[in-house]
Amino acid sequence: MTITFIQHELKSFWRSKGTGKTIAVRIVMGVLILIMLLYVFALGFFLDKILEEVAPTENLVHIFSGIILYYYLFDLLMRFQLQELPTLKVQPYLHLPIKKNTIIRYLSFVSLQSFFNLWPFILFLPFIFKVVKPDSGGLVATAFILSIIGFMVLNNYLSLYIKRRSNLNGWISVGFAAFLVSLLAADYGWHIISFKNLSFLFFGHLQTMPWLFLLPVLLATAMYYINFLYLKQNLYLEDLGSQKKEAYKTSTEIPVLNYFGKVGDLVGNEIKLILRNKRSRSALVICVIMMFYGLMFYIPSINPKMANFQAGKVFCGMFMTGIFIISYGQHMYGWQGSHFDGILVSKVNFRDFLRAKFLLFTTISTVAFLLTIPYVHFGWHAVFINFVMYLWNIGVNTLVVLFFANRNYKRIDLSKGAAFNWEGVGATQLLIGFPLMITPFIIYAPLSFFHHADMALIIIGITGVLFVFTRSYWIKKLEADFQEKRYTIAEGFRNK
Amino acid sequence: MIEVKNLKKVYAGVIVVNVPQIEIRKGESVGLIGNNGAGKTTLFRMLLDLIRPESGEALINGENVARGEKWKDTSAAYLDEGFLIDYLTPEEYFYFIGGLHNQSRAHVDDFLAGYGEFFNGEILKKGKYIRDLSKGNQCKVGVAACLLQSPELLMLDEPFANIDPSTQIRLKNLLKDLNKTKGMTTIVSSHDLSHVTEVCDRILLMEKGKIIKDIVTSASTLKELEAYFSAGIIAETEAE
Repeated sequence: MTITFIQHELKSFWRSKGTGKTIAVRIVMGVLILIMLLYVFALGFFLDKILEEVAPTENLVHIFSGIILYYYLFDLLMRFQLQELPTLKVQPYLHLPIKKNTIIRYLSFVSLQSFFNLWPFILFLPFIFKVVKPDSGGLVATAFILSIIGFMVLNNYLSLYIKRRSNLNGWISVGFAAFLVSLLAADYGWHIISFKNLSFLFFGHLQTMPWLFLLPVLLATAMYYINFLYLKQNLYLEDLGSQKKEAYKTSTEIPVLNYFGKVGDLVGNEIKLILRNKRSRSALVICVIMMFYGLMFYIPSINPKMANFQAGKVFCGMFMTGIFIISYGQHMYGWQGSHFDGILVSKVNFRDFLRAKFLLFTTISTVAFLLTIPYVHFGWHAVFINFVMYLWNIGVNTLVVLFFANRNYKRIDLSKGAAFNWEGVGATQLLIGFPLMITPFIIYAPLSFFHHADMALIIIGITGVLFVFTRSYWIKKLEADFQEKRYTIAEGFRNK
Repeated sequence: MIEVKNLKKVYAGVIVVNVPQIEIRKGESVGLIGNNGAGKTTLFRMLLDLIRPESGEALINGENVARGEKWKDTSAAYLDEGFLIDYLTPEEYFYFIGGLHNQSRAHVDDFLAGYGEFFNGEILKKGKYIRDLSKGNQCKVGVAACLLQSPELLMLDEPFANIDPSTQIRLKNLLKDLNKTKGMTTIVSSHDLSHVTEVCDRILLMEKGKIIKDIVTSASTLKELEAYFSAGIIAETEAE
């Protein structure tokens, strides 16, 4: 039975929508993932050198032993945020004559395939082989490896267990997150406990008493069984799923938008779309996080080389005021893929539809620009750069994004989370990046080379304003372009 | 009201719809029936300009649906959940659709008040988004949103499939009533032969993309159709 399950699992991987992409996209993505893995691998491989740099006087194994527990604490925090519950996968098996224990074993096994269970190996194994083994011998090295696996498995099932519990009671997740954060605060802020000492207490003693590896292994086994028993008692779809108990949903409206008539109604709907769905919400969260991106360029102590790097500031001004246009706009109109037929048939005029997109982008970019005004702390020039890039964003980038939206045939499943979600990513999304990021520099680079950087900024700003004023012309062009492609777009969105 | 000329759709080399000519006059109530894959939904989609026909054209009120958008003012349709904006509450959705037709909120509220029985207390003020409703209740939202637009032409694809018996009866009465009193033209597809024969004056029977029978409903129609569907092969040879 387990073998059948594994076969199904492999099929589901190879036949999933995510893997069935065009070869080119798969290659690009494969390369990106490989590069990321290589970075982590390099980090693991040179961990001994890095630790030597950081603390040249201390014993390598000592420092190493001191940091492992920190890793797992952050690992737990990250898992809690990002790891998906592998649940609906069992739905087709629940009604069949298969023993519950078999199903749960399968579910537990499936949950182990996660990126989080790859990092510890890549990060720590090279160090163990390079330093611990020559230093303390094969037995101790084996104990280290087993302990690392033990903690990894413990974290895996602990985070899943907590997540499942919190499905039934939302407060558990709040409590758990608060607990983890206060643990970190107790260490760094208040110095009540020290994970470094705790970590050293265990891994340090592992060198003299290798049998201590039994502790994490036993903990992991115990956690596995706790998770197992919990699942066995709650193997019902409503308990398994990642849907939380639903609260009463109220109808809301944004009165300001009434001023814009039907276009305002459409914007109102889209704002609701953004706020009421997981994946689109994360585009907004990115937008807020981006506000702090500028600090990397403007605070000299963070990055001394960046302080005089004007082009970097221009780039970052574009991101701070326009990241929403880029991150949300690149999937347009895929966000509305699930009801695109309805829009086409309804009395929505496509010109209004486009106007609504422009209004939405302009509104959010304006809010983003207003939020970046505190950068005036680093001089008026910072605000000037941001303002110019804001004009560029609402003038040119909105247009670029919507031009590509007419060429995007991939729908977005709004209910899925954003982390590691490749759905809706295709050649269009990879292509769109180039014009968005490069065009302002076509103006900026040559002029700034001849020391006319401010002139370049003024030209960028004026270009942006020109495009804003000629919007109705571009909307007509986009509409004509859309009329030609609408069948292909609608057809693409119908393919789930 | 509707005119179809040489409408043809091909998917992967297979002709899925091929309708040389059909005309539906104003005030007619038409039932569209046929087994799975007969091409009913594809025909609907071409009538609504959602897919591009290989050849031919569909006219609503004399306007080619692929060329203009005026027909959208007078027609309403509900084919599947893809027509609903599922992250809105039903109320928000009704206000949105009403707003497209310049109806005030008060007007929409008035309209909805008349549908209390049809909704059976499961749609309004339940604090749910449309996506959290059952398929049957989503269908009720879709049908009500269509009627809210007081259309001259209404198209429904299998509206009876997911709704409960009480609602089926209410919907049938509603359709018959609107057809009689307001002269609303309706096209309804269904797999339930008794429903269609009860509601519709005229039945179009589709098979493999073709309309093979075009009959005026009479007392014997149901028997006739049942005979066809229990021995489809005979009818097929007849048609050829």
